Amino acid sequence: MKITILYGTETGNTEMLSEDLESEFGSDHEIEVKNLSDVAPEDLDLTVFHVFLCSSYGDGELPASAKPFAEALGASDTDLSGLRFAIFGLGDSDYETFGHGSEQLADMLVKHKAEQVGPRLIHDAQGGDLAEDLAFPWFEERVAEVEALSDAA
Amino acid sequence: MPHKIAILGAGPSGCYLAQSLLKLDDALEVDIIDRLPVPYGLVRYGVAPDHQGTKGVARQFARLFERQGVTFIGNLDVCTGDHGGEITLAELRELYDVVVLATGLPTDQKLGIEGEELEGVIGSGALTRAWNDHPDSHDLPPAKTGKTVTVIGNGNVAMDIVRILSKGEGEFEGSDFGTHHAERIAAAGIERIEVIGRSPAHMAKFDPVMVKEIGKSARLRFEIADLQLSAGAEADNTRLQALATLAGIAPDDARCTVSFRFGWSPVRLVGAGGKLTSAHFTRADGSEALDLPSDTVITAIGFCDDARLGRADLVAGATDIDSGRLAPGLYAAGWFRRGPRGTIPENRADSQAVAAAIVEDLASLAASDKPGRAALQARFDRLTDYAAWQRIDEHERATVSEGRVRSKLRSRRDMLALALNETETPS
Ligand SMILES: Cc1cc2nc3c(=O)[nH]c(=O)nc-3n(C[C@H](O)[C@H](O)[C@H](O)COP(=O)(O)OP(=O)(O)OC[C@H]3O[C@@H](n4cnc5c(N)ncnc54)[C@H](O)[C@@H]3O)c2cc1C
Ligand SMILES: Cc1cc2nc3c(=O)[nH]c(=O)nc-3n(C[C@H](O)[C@H](O)[C@H](O)COP(=O)(O)O)c2cc1C
Repeated sequence: MKITILYGTETGNTEMLSEDLESEFGSDHEIEVKNLSDVAPEDLDLTVFHVFLCSSYGDGELPASAKPFAEALGASDTDLSGLRFAIFGLGDSDYETFGHGSEQLADMLVKHKAEQVGPRLIHDAQGGDLAEDLAFPWFEERVAEVEALSDAA
Repeated sequence: MPHKIAILGAGPSGCYLAQSLLKLDDALEVDIIDRLPVPYGLVRYGVAPDHQGTKGVARQFARLFERQGVTFIGNLDVCTGDHGGEITLAELRELYDVVVLATGLPTDQKLGIEGEELEGVIGSGALTRAWNDHPDSHDLPPAKTGKTVTVIGNGNVAMDIVRILSKGEGEFEGSDFGTHHAERIAAAGIERIEVIGRSPAHMAKFDPVMVKEIGKSARLRFEIADLQLSAGAEADNTRLQALATLAGIAPDDARCTVSFRFGWSPVRLVGAGGKLTSAHFTRADGSEALDLPSDTVITAIGFCDDARLGRADLVAGATDIDSGRLAPGLYAAGWFRRGPRGTIPENRADSQAVAAAIVEDLASLAASDKPGRAALQARFDRLTDYAAWQRIDEHERATVSEGRVRSKLRSRRDMLALALNETETPS
């Protein structure tokens, strides 16, 4: 399957996770990885399954590399109907606004009529889990869901 | 042969630089050298012990050594000729095609006022190094405070210090803050912390979330003064909003009062018998004066160069400091390049730009005939490597006290004993 992974990061943890997903699943799927800073909302290919990975900063804000995309999306009436996406967050439960960055991004995408597949999972920098240990099974499940949806259609 | 690059300093800038270089050209041979036996710079020795999530960025850096072929060379102090050290910068440049200085800025900026040498005046760098068990602190007297502490400065480092001083002994769960430090703070019985800065509150340097975090500790009372100086600020100013969340906190059983004051410049520290007794401040226009009785003053107003690598001359003579180019084959990154400003993410962007400049310059350089690390390994027999760090790391995680995630080895000797498999076992 064709999959586009888009990440928003500040210190690079989310970028590393994106690369890990690509190396883990790249032989089974046609995966393209991009920084959200290099993508404009109107350029998204609505026929491709998108996986968003996004951390949180400040007081539950988006990380720097996701901000221009979010601002552009917020300021536009881009219609994302038909776009299927899943979203995974990176955060730190020390902050009351745990996972709010990915939540904001998910809400915006849905508001622009994209269809979210499966739950948003958040890796906690305080916890003992490695991000990839949570994200790999989550990614497989989301891909299976999208495959089932496409088969049904 | 591939070009050989020595990055001096294994802090965030050095590590991000290695990461970016290899993204641009994975054939490069990259070594990261540090004067300490262990990597990660201020991620290990500056970022607060109770901010383990932030320290998590070290997992990215570990990849460099574990999977991406970068070599860590620890316990090698590089200096210019007149500052001791084990090898000079000039010698190192002979061994590599490119040397990058990413050694940070470790020295506490002085206030430049009378009384700074009094007993009871501590710099934020010295204090946070001690709290993070930096080996340079090992042979210094333990950092301690009296009952009234004045913190001068309003940046995030000041907020880290206020938070740690004002937390209860039991509030360090999940951190790697040594129990010996927590006990010493508790024993001091701090009753009042004055946090005082030059800017008005709405322009203070701290991140609002850092202020709010201080409010989460139990049994603190807060006082916020000088808000009249911010009368003209926007209603949605996030710093004022953060301070407002503290203003209402005043429990009956408060252990300690944390008082924020704004718009004051320090003019003099006053003591008796060589010991600090008070700190004096004035308004910028001289209209008012303030005298704060203090057992301890902590200065948190920034950092500067330790002069050991001749930074001032290198920067002044730089080919193009904005891209990190100091001289042919010599570059600078991170705090060393741009000054003691900016958080970890800013160093990432900075290092990406410097890496691009290096790779651009390398394109017109002949293939390498430099010996690189082989020459260092032949000359020095007490270098540490990444496997040594892994042994130290494992030991520190295996010997933790209750409620902590790590118990740091505090002395260079103990680190080297484990690192070099010397017979002495760490105490
Ligand atoms: C107390 C404190 C708390 C902070 N907290 C945060 C935070 O929570 N979040 C955040 O984003 N940022 C924080 N920062 C800022 C962050 O630490 C810096 O932006 C960052 O560490 C700068 O990276 P650097 O690599 O340039 O320098 P450093 O991290 O200082 O690394 C320099 C390295 O060079 C080595 N070195 C020095 N001299 C020599 C020599 N002569 N030869 C060989 N090696 C040498 C040092 O041992 C060190 O390992 C904090 C800073 C401080 C001081
Ligand atoms: C200054 C700062 C503020 C943060 N704020 C939040 C937050 O509000 N909510 C959250 O869930 N995580 C927060 N985090 C945690 C980061 O999202 C987490 O460390 C993540 O792994 C960073 O990923 P990145 O390197 O891809 O940016 C914060 C981290 C820092 C350093």
